[in-house]
Amino acid sequence: MTLPSMNVKAYLDHNATTPIWETLYEEVPKWMKSWGNPSSIHQTGRAPKNILREARKQIAEYLQVSPLEIVFNSGASEGNNTVIKGLAEKILLEPMQHRTEKCEFMCSTVEHPSVLKTYQWLENKGLKVHWIPVNQDGELSLDFYEQHLSEKVLLVSVMGANNETGNVFPIAKLCQLAHQKGALFHCDGTQLMGKAEFDFTSMNVDYATFSGHKFYALKGIGFLYIKKNLPYTQLIHGGAQERYRRSGTENTFGIASMGYMLELMAKEKNKILTMQLLRDDFEKQVLQRISDVRITGAKAPRLANTSHMMIDGVDGETLLMNLDLEGFPVSTGAACSSGNPEPSPVLLSMGFTRDQAQSSLRVSLGWGTEKQQLDLFVETLEKIVKRLREIKHGQKYFN
Amino acid sequence: MDKNILIKNKRVLVAMSGGVDSSVAAALLKEQGYEVIGATMQVWDYSSCDIEEGNGTCCSSLDVDDARAVADKLDIPFYVINCESKFKEKVIDPFLAGYLEGQTPLPCVNCNTYLKFDHLIQKMKELDCSFLATGHYAQVVESEGKSYIQTSEDDWKDQTYFLFTINPEIVPHLLFPVGSYKKPQVRELAAKWQLTVAKKKDSQGICFVGNQGYDNFIEQHVEKNILAQKKGLIKRFPVGTIMGEHQGIHHYTYGQSKGIGLNHHEKLFVIKVDASDNTVWVGDEEYLYGEEVKIINTHLLSNLDESKEYSVKIRYQHKGALAKIIKLGASEYKIHFKEKQRAITPGQAAVIYDDKKLIGGGWIQI
Repeated sequence: MTLPSMNVKAYLDHNATTPIWETLYEEVPKWMKSWGNPSSIHQTGRAPKNILREARKQIAEYLQVSPLEIVFNSGASEGNNTVIKGLAEKILLEPMQHRTEKCEFMCSTVEHPSVLKTYQWLENKGLKVHWIPVNQDGELSLDFYEQHLSEKVLLVSVMGANNETGNVFPIAKLCQLAHQKGALFHCDGTQLMGKAEFDFTSMNVDYATFSGHKFYALKGIGFLYIKKNLPYTQLIHGGAQERYRRSGTENTFGIASMGYMLELMAKEKNKILTMQLLRDDFEKQVLQRISDVRITGAKAPRLANTSHMMIDGVDGETLLMNLDLEGFPVSTGAACSSGNPEPSPVLLSMGFTRDQAQSSLRVSLGWGTEKQQLDLFVETLEKIVKRLREIKHGQKYFN
Repeated sequence: MDKNILIKNKRVLVAMSGGVDSSVAAALLKEQGYEVIGATMQVWDYSSCDIEEGNGTCCSSLDVDDARAVADKLDIPFYVINCESKFKEKVIDPFLAGYLEGQTPLPCVNCNTYLKFDHLIQKMKELDCSFLATGHYAQVVESEGKSYIQTSEDDWKDQTYFLFTINPEIVPHLLFPVGSYKKPQVRELAAKWQLTVAKKKDSQGICFVGNQGYDNFIEQHVEKNILAQKKGLIKRFPVGTIMGEHQGIHHYTYGQSKGIGLNHHEKLFVIKVDASDNTVWVGDEEYLYGEEVKIINTHLLSNLDESKEYSVKIRYQHKGALAKIIKLGASEYKIHFKEKQRAITPGQAAVIYDDKKLIGGGWIQI
């Protein structure tokens, strides 16, 4: 297989995926020597079993939870589907007239598609879902939440932070309110890891989902946190792996990479502050040098690494291509939505117009991002925006 | 025209469909030292769409994958440009409407007019390219400081018929790299460069209709109650004897003799489709011949000389026939053929050539 070459001056799309952490290039081959099936009784199963145990412990320690509360899976999309569909299953199996208690759901309108579309699927099956609005400043409507959060709600899903705008939601408070009404709380924590400081136990969520590839571990691996003794139905049936909570032979190298990264992250908390300072400086420069730019959700709490902006008179798709050609991979929205001609549903749901949504740019920094890279990026961005605006305003291209 | 003002770099945006022609076009340009950027316009994949609808992008076409594979092989940047809504509005909807108006539409021209040579021209500018290239069999030639479009080396493959709406201003910015080759040579080049599409079949007919046939496509995309209103009578031309009934005028095109739906001892041809009362007129082949045609929405790349004889093509595979062209109105012209032509069909284009040079064209109206 020949792969196309890359010309990357600064990778600025860490919300889509993070690069594999450099020391993992040395660690992973070591783990690969333990290629046995962790479920095997014989000796080749011992080392991989050991890898799983160690990684589960590292993850549990990072979150300050019990290792038994961690279930390995393929990532947050699977985790989100598992939690929501698993809890809804019981209600769906009951005849309509018996669905009196705890048969409603709540979720924000800006969730990742793996949450949004799963709830839409439930709606199509006749279940009630309350969609909690988020305003243009990136604030979730607490009024709506409190108004519609009743004893009938079984599960609330709100993400820890939004992948597009980087806005962080008050999970601890939302969770407390949910618990007061006897509702369970599910948090898609994918974007939090490595981009925000958070105390997981004080959030007190019942279910949380994470993906390894968002925090410098390998792809196709993730984990699900399930608080002890709470209802849970497995999505993947089969063998006894993960105590029957998720069947299928474990992705041991991926799992090990997550444990490794979270152990590292616990020691490297300063990386988050560093990113934030760089991001703030970057935004200051952009606003100084480019006119008619609006930073999305800047008034509300945000991840340390994310800068989402709307640039008047510029088509985000074309801007992305131009920046890519100059060596700066960035994004206009969620990577999962590229190939979709529609503007970001997240931005539309926040009340932005189609034009505004289509003029958006998301820059997401990583642990390795350097100031010089961002300075060069701002310079390039300024140049491209100027040119695109000139074309847009009808400056003649043909002689 | 001073080329130095116009052409600021050797960067070219290549419209790659995933077929062999545009793939070789990209490869040729790369070999010629251009800085090549590949792009595929994502339009709805109507032919192979059997995944549940209503879920955003229902299917990423295999052709897009082929284009991407070629771009990877050539090691050039590659982007997918979304054109689904524009394609529906400018190509699919008028195609459907045309059939319901008794015409035989020519969607490829609209795709060129509104997508390839408008939307992609805009992208070409925005991506700071000096050129837009496609895999069309056509050539851009320069004479006396002006650029013209002329027919390709491969007479049989020539696609200039579909290019008559191009804005003359952009012609100096167009590159048709395969236009100076014959098709078998293009395949040889694809094989030489080991492009995965070297043996891929040529697209037949209209890309979005695929193998299902255009009437099946229309029935899938037009509401049943609208189609039901298109039923009517089959009458004998010119006398008007009722010969039978038909299930919708969209099943008929001028000159058609098979599948008319009559059990009749003579071979009859569709002479005319009248959308005003949904009558399909059938008759002897002689009535298919006409020597005059009016064209509307005419688009010219060069000036016309009414005293001169031009070669005019009335359908893609038409050889071209000599004719004089007389101006009727702002964009209406009358074409008077030297010899009678068979099945002059509304909805198709009449495209005018001065020898090999593309002069322009318009839409046939009856």
